[in-house]
Amino acid sequence: MSLISMEFLLFVFLAVVGYYWIPQKFQWIWLLIFSYIYYISGGLQVTSFLVFTTITTYLGGVFLEKISEKNMEKQKAKKKKKQILISVLLLNFGVLGVLKYTNFAIGTVNTLFGAEFNTLQFLLPLGISFYTFQSMGYILDIYWERTTAEHNLFRFALFVSFFPQILQGPIGRFSKLGTQLFEAHSLHSEEIEQGILRIFWGYFKKMVLADNAVIFVNAIFDAPDVYDGLAIIGVLAYSIQLYCDFSGGMDVVIGIAKLFGITLDENFKRPYFAISITDFWHRWHITLGTWMKDYVFYPVSLSGWMKHFSKFSKKLFGKQIGRTLPICLANLIVFLVVGIWHGAAWKFIIYGLYNGLIIAFSGLMAPNYRKWKQKLHIVEDNKGFHFFQIVRTFILVNISWFFDIAKDVPTALLMMKHAITKCNLYQIFEIKIGEASGTKYTLVAILVILFGCLAVFIVSFLEESGKDIAVFFARQHWLVKCAVYVGLILLLPALGQPAGEAGGFIYAQF
Amino acid sequence: MEKLLEILEDIQPDADYETCETLIDDGILDSFAILSIVSELQDEFEITITPAEIIPENFNSAKALWAMIERLQAG
Repeated sequence: MSLISMEFLLFVFLAVVGYYWIPQKFQWIWLLIFSYIYYISGGLQVTSFLVFTTITTYLGGVFLEKISEKNMEKQKAKKKKKQILISVLLLNFGVLGVLKYTNFAIGTVNTLFGAEFNTLQFLLPLGISFYTFQSMGYILDIYWERTTAEHNLFRFALFVSFFPQILQGPIGRFSKLGTQLFEAHSLHSEEIEQGILRIFWGYFKKMVLADNAVIFVNAIFDAPDVYDGLAIIGVLAYSIQLYCDFSGGMDVVIGIAKLFGITLDENFKRPYFAISITDFWHRWHITLGTWMKDYVFYPVSLSGWMKHFSKFSKKLFGKQIGRTLPICLANLIVFLVVGIWHGAAWKFIIYGLYNGLIIAFSGLMAPNYRKWKQKLHIVEDNKGFHFFQIVRTFILVNISWFFDIAKDVPTALLMMKHAITKCNLYQIFEIKIGEASGTKYTLVAILVILFGCLAVFIVSFLEESGKDIAVFFARQHWLVKCAVYVGLILLLPALGQPAGEAGGFIYAQF
Repeated sequence: MEKLLEILEDIQPDADYETCETLIDDGILDSFAILSIVSELQDEFEITITPAEIIPENFNSAKALWAMIERLQAG
């Protein structure tokens, strides 16, 4: 059931009406039923994987807590807890790994050794990465005693399957999301209004911007030799598509959750205003970044072998570089995982390592940067310098997008070369859009994207300056609000692409 | 406590460690700085800091960091 469909909107409407109509103590059960209906509608077969993750994680959590409570010898308890944790992690990441990466492994073996193993056909459960990461975060939090285990299997099942977020996140934490899912919610008109506004904003980004931009992206990146003068336009269009697709999807998801009185974590914070790659990852797919930080980066950095490496590098390179080097290595491992998470292909591994290397280099150079800034009398709040940092980061991010969108690494490198050596913007009118197949419609699509970007930029700029657009909108007269909503309802289908031209959400494939 | 302040100043000089109680919440210490601090604390105070200790409550102020050091030394 696509997030952009009348049946989905009707599904949400029924879920919301029933949610506030039934007694409050049954609200979480109502959400669980709707979550499973939603998931099963995507395929009954793959639901078994969701149930598997739910049951294994639930049992793991309960057993972990029982060991903590028991009067067992400390070392023995520690060992037992570790065994349970590793079993749950292996089982669940094992399923994820087999389903997502078997064919990548077969392909790599075939290429490296000239073998001819056949690839396998797997049904990839919807949102498997998201619900697996969310569940494994839960089990690790119990292991580290940051949260307590949920003892009701069905409540836990709701935490794993909550329907607005299961397909593309945000990846929630039990300590924050669990409480909200299970508590009673009364109908508040402000929350409904905030939710609807957020949903509309998400549809605007997705339908008007992402779905128009994707046509140019596909045309240019599917035929890089034909549109060799449009490499820059292609990657800029991809910048728009990816951001508006994913953050637009998040707006819809967060808005729907708000209709149930549930506040999900934000996943985007105006990433193209970032002043460094580190800052970019603090603003882009935030819940994946914090998940990686808490459950991969810190544990790897604090592992026994990393401690030995730290001592070794301190002896070899001195205190400052010596202590930073192991952190850089852990950071590279994290971005390698992020790359692999994005897809089973070498281009994604390069994409991850590219980001990791830049951040590692910045970490190593941080003390030097401080000295250079002092020498050049550059103050942090200098507007010119701030603007330079934003532009520099945007260029670095766009370089990474070449690896993300091109079909393989050689194509990405070729497109980068074209971006520098060839530029023929008029080629854009050779891209025919729609059945009318005239350049006229291409021009309309370009104008729609440009004005749409302007709208997103203005809203983002105001938010970046500390202004809350939602609050401003909420204060307007109801007639103004109605006019805006009616305008959007009429504009969205008119300016967006028909379902055949546009695609689903990119991150729903993860 | 003096040694701790020295370590903090060395790793991230742009903060008032005597008064600030939002080192994590306000993003003054990022993950690189946190791990640099952890590395120095482990060497200096002969303690073992596990991922379970890396929570804002332990890193939001010099005082909280000192309390964590004392707790780990005792336990």
